[in-house]
Amino acid sequence: MGVEMSSEQAVRGAIQTYSKRVWRFGLALSGASDVADDLMQSTCLRALERHHQVTSHDRLDSWLMTICRSIWLNEVRARSVRKAQALSVTPEAELISTGSDSETNIFATEVFTQVMQLPEAQRETVMLVFVEGYSYREAAALLEVPIGTIMSRLSNARQKLKNVMQHDAADAV
Amino acid sequence: MKFSDETLRAYLEGNVDEAEATAIEHAVEADPDLEQRLMALDPFAPVVQTVFEAIPAEAPQINLPDAPSEAAVHPAGGAWRLLAVAASVAVVAVSATFWATRPAPMGWAEQAAIYQSLYVPDTIASLDNSNQVLDTQFALAEEQLGRSLNRDALETLPGMELKRAQVLSFNGKPLIQIVFADEQGQPFAFCVIRQGAGASDKDVKQAVLSGLATASWSQDGYGYMLIGSSDQSELDGNLDILTATFAG
Repeated sequence: MGVEMSSEQAVRGAIQTYSKRVWRFGLALSGASDVADDLMQSTCLRALERHHQVTSHDRLDSWLMTICRSIWLNEVRARSVRKAQALSVTPEAELISTGSDSETNIFATEVFTQVMQLPEAQRETVMLVFVEGYSYREAAALLEVPIGTIMSRLSNARQKLKNVMQHDAADAV
Repeated sequence: MKFSDETLRAYLEGNVDEAEATAIEHAVEADPDLEQRLMALDPFAPVVQTVFEAIPAEAPQINLPDAPSEAAVHPAGGAWRLLAVAASVAVVAVSATFWATRPAPMGWAEQAAIYQSLYVPDTIASLDNSNQVLDTQFALAEEQLGRSLNRDALETLPGMELKRAQVLSFNGKPLIQIVFADEQGQPFAFCVIRQGAGASDKDVKQAVLSGLATASWSQDGYGYMLIGSSDQSELDGNLDILTATFAG
């Protein structure tokens, strides 16, 4: 029972806590929810296999994200990108839950579509910083790029998101 | 170099020239406070966050292999040992889930109740509670705890058969679980934890934890808890005896 938590317990706990976050990152990387499902599952299994590598129970979220991205880059990406080209996949806007307020839903769907149509590097950065709240330097460490690269990716993403945002602001008046 | 909020907003909206954008980006690299300011001013982040936070609507299904048993202090035993292993696996899973979903860390009483809630009559039916075995268990438990467990009083609790004393630990503190069978063979437990001299005294508090009736109190650096076999268990009679026995 309440003994000092083992690294395996900590990893299992982190998997429960961060499952949605890892799934969203999988979606940002791959652009497809079925691939996100697979990435999520593989990430969790890999993390459990490697629980003995965990030296600190802090920031297990970043650790899970790093594993997810490494599986994506090394094992899944080539296959998925080929498949996506073959099927010309469009963003899965049906992931936006259909609530009662249709105006809000239309806007949410537009934002979702715009984000999902960003190039992969911008998409993963937007997901980490805008959605998950990682700082620029945390995102830079996670994605193994300089902070300046994070900031310029975000600037480019903002330029593309601007249209839908301004459209919304105009509607609201 | 100082940047006004106005300048930072203009940067975020893409309305500064390239030289200024570069100056801001360089400054952010060296200045985490500026980074935080800039992030807080970003009008895009909350919008995108609101949209994506709702995805996926439900927590994704993950299939993980079962957790192996955690090594605990168990006296050697037969069939009950398997049950104890099964129970500890379940405790690991339950604890991990609770750990993951509860904002506040659980106290020892909640943890002990979760553990106890996995006990069924079969868990304790075949325990060897011969004098010799109990002698060993109590000696070990009292040594860990640093105080007497008043075994004589525990052995004569009305309607209770003393089954086992087990050494556990909570946040590095020794936690002793003493298990009884009532007249129907249902598992009851009395737990004692050494909280340290600085711990404050607490009056008896009755509560249903993990579906079990419990009564807990603290006195003179030790925490005590009596746990019934269901939420309806009658604790009062034995509670009076225990509070009197363990007073001071």
